[in-house]
Amino acid sequence: MDRKPLIQRKTGISYKTEEKTVLRGFDVRELANAGYTFIDGLYILFQGRIPAENERAMLDYEVAEFLEHSMSPSAAAAIGVMNGHPMLPAAVGASIATFGGAHGPGAQHGYMMKKYLDRAVLEHKTVEEVAVECVDEYMDAGRAVMGMGQPQHLDGDPRAEPTHLKQEEIGVVGVYLKFQRALEKRFYARRFAEGRSYVAVNMIGAGNTALSDMGFSPNAAWTIGCVTRGYSCSCHALFTLKKGRAWGASRNEPMVQMLDLSMIKYIGPEDREVPLQSEREAYAMNELKTGEFKKWVI
Amino acid sequence: MGDLKDVAVNRMTGKVCDERIATMKHAKRRVIGNLGNPNLLFDYTNREIGTLPDDNRAHFKWVSEVAYKNIHRIVTRGYDTTELVEAGYGVCDVLFIDFQARIPLVEEKKVLDYILLVGLEDGLSNPALVARLVARGKSYLTQAAGASVFAFGEAYGAFKNFGYMLEKYYNKIAEEKLSAADAAALCVEECYHEDHFGIDAKYVKDPTPKDLMAYAEKALAGKKELKYIPFLKEVVKAAQAKLGYVEADFMAAATAAMMDLDFTPDAAWCIMGVTRAFSAGAHVCEEIERECERDGFDTYGKTLTPKEWYDGPTDRPVPSLKERGAFKGGQAQTPEEWKKMWDRKAKELSGSGFAIDFVLDDARKVVHGKGKK
Repeated sequence: MDRKPLIQRKTGISYKTEEKTVLRGFDVRELANAGYTFIDGLYILFQGRIPAENERAMLDYEVAEFLEHSMSPSAAAAIGVMNGHPMLPAAVGASIATFGGAHGPGAQHGYMMKKYLDRAVLEHKTVEEVAVECVDEYMDAGRAVMGMGQPQHLDGDPRAEPTHLKQEEIGVVGVYLKFQRALEKRFYARRFAEGRSYVAVNMIGAGNTALSDMGFSPNAAWTIGCVTRGYSCSCHALFTLKKGRAWGASRNEPMVQMLDLSMIKYIGPEDREVPLQSEREAYAMNELKTGEFKKWVI
Repeated sequence: MGDLKDVAVNRMTGKVCDERIATMKHAKRRVIGNLGNPNLLFDYTNREIGTLPDDNRAHFKWVSEVAYKNIHRIVTRGYDTTELVEAGYGVCDVLFIDFQARIPLVEEKKVLDYILLVGLEDGLSNPALVARLVARGKSYLTQAAGASVFAFGEAYGAFKNFGYMLEKYYNKIAEEKLSAADAAALCVEECYHEDHFGIDAKYVKDPTPKDLMAYAEKALAGKKELKYIPFLKEVVKAAQAKLGYVEADFMAAATAAMMDLDFTPDAAWCIMGVTRAFSAGAHVCEEIERECERDGFDTYGKTLTPKEWYDGPTDRPVPSLKERGAFKGGQAQTPEEWKKMWDRKAKELSGSGFAIDFVLDDARKVVHGKGKK
């Protein structure tokens, strides 16, 4: 049995022999037998260290609360993919891959905080001062301040403020929460002063802040957040597979299905005749000249 | 319906398949290509245009037994998720709630925690490598981590197939009045060659799977009756009698334990695939930090394939388009001719797919043994 990896790499993460799997120096079997948890494993994986008990509790809190979020782009992706009845991992992987600049942009929030904390160091400013600058610069430029606003939880994400409070309660507070609190204060004040509607902190602003104070890099935090959601998305995929209709388009259901043809609203060019090949060149030239097509180019 | 009936009627069935068509506009079209052929199911020169209108059924909703949210709450299986975590429940508890709609025993939670910790990392195996490869294209981290889950199939991380195999033969104890030893022997006899068998020489030197099963047995003793771990041990015994010194691998032990925690094999497959994706994220970071920082990301066309690795057709001149006119097509006219062509391509043309005996199963039929109907 050839057990060599397909691609050879030096790695500082783990090694695996016939006898054991070693993660950042720890035999994972010994970790488990000693009573360490999966959450401890995430610290070891991304930070190479065993966390303090309050850090373990904070991450467990956050992963557990972030795991399920009902219908979000990730769950919709899992359900949509599963409608075709591929293997389950296809739906699960797709759900994780939905996370980007709008859905769970944890890394962007992390790097935004880093940028301004770097400035605090370089320019000898306080955390509060650079947080104010962050809000002002983003808002002046018409950019969305990362970590604020959620399109479904209009009064504020129900998980967000409790996450801040939990961080404070169990003592996992660091420079990131100080920055985030100052950012929120400035953000609310500016929107209020400008007569704009209330936009609350979201789960990136709260959860990613906590992950950062727990010592995770922006990318590690992003991984933890997005992959965690993969658990519940796989649950939604399974529900679709086992209790839903393939395709999601059946006419034999009492409720219109997600892919029923009547769900399609078309706003493109009017129906038109296909030009014959003998007409094609003149037709195409006319299209180029009028430039009408340009408004449809995406 | 006048003309509309002609538009909507299926020439084969003589029926209108969907009454909504009758309310739609239609457009006359000139005949293009074969679209005037009367053998077609529909009159292509006179068909409806525009999207289908609504009917009287209830509007589409995301129907879910798993979770809902409103502006102020996120609720899974009836529990507010914020209330759950404030009450001290953790990730393993929520996995039980999401997948099984129940709060687990503390001991069950501990067993799941053990499995997730041990299953978190597997070195440079397929999910890590897939994630690293995707990352080398400078994709988003989430794209690479998501891709790692795609590595789970019916051989690598075959939690689902193994679980259903174990369940099938365990059920024979009651269904066919077999002893556990006989059911296990039958399982070995019929399945030992399968990629998802989960019992081989890989883990004979690594006590992790044994420790995992022992931990679960000890933790759950007196709390609930275990079925699958004891049966897996029987299967291992039968496999050792037939194959020599083999042991259950991690996948087998973890699946059996998760089934004793009442997770389905499908749920085990998903949960372990996602668990592994956390470490895939770390591998992505390391690939970028070390390899891509040093050598750059991979760009299209950068990677060369040495000619000495190539064993396909020898280099040959490209024929002119004029010469192409003399070429014969590749259609077989008889089953014998077809078989001959298939076998030849399977033998001579790697990468054509002809040498793979693969049946695409409907995932739902695989789960249930047959379709919903």
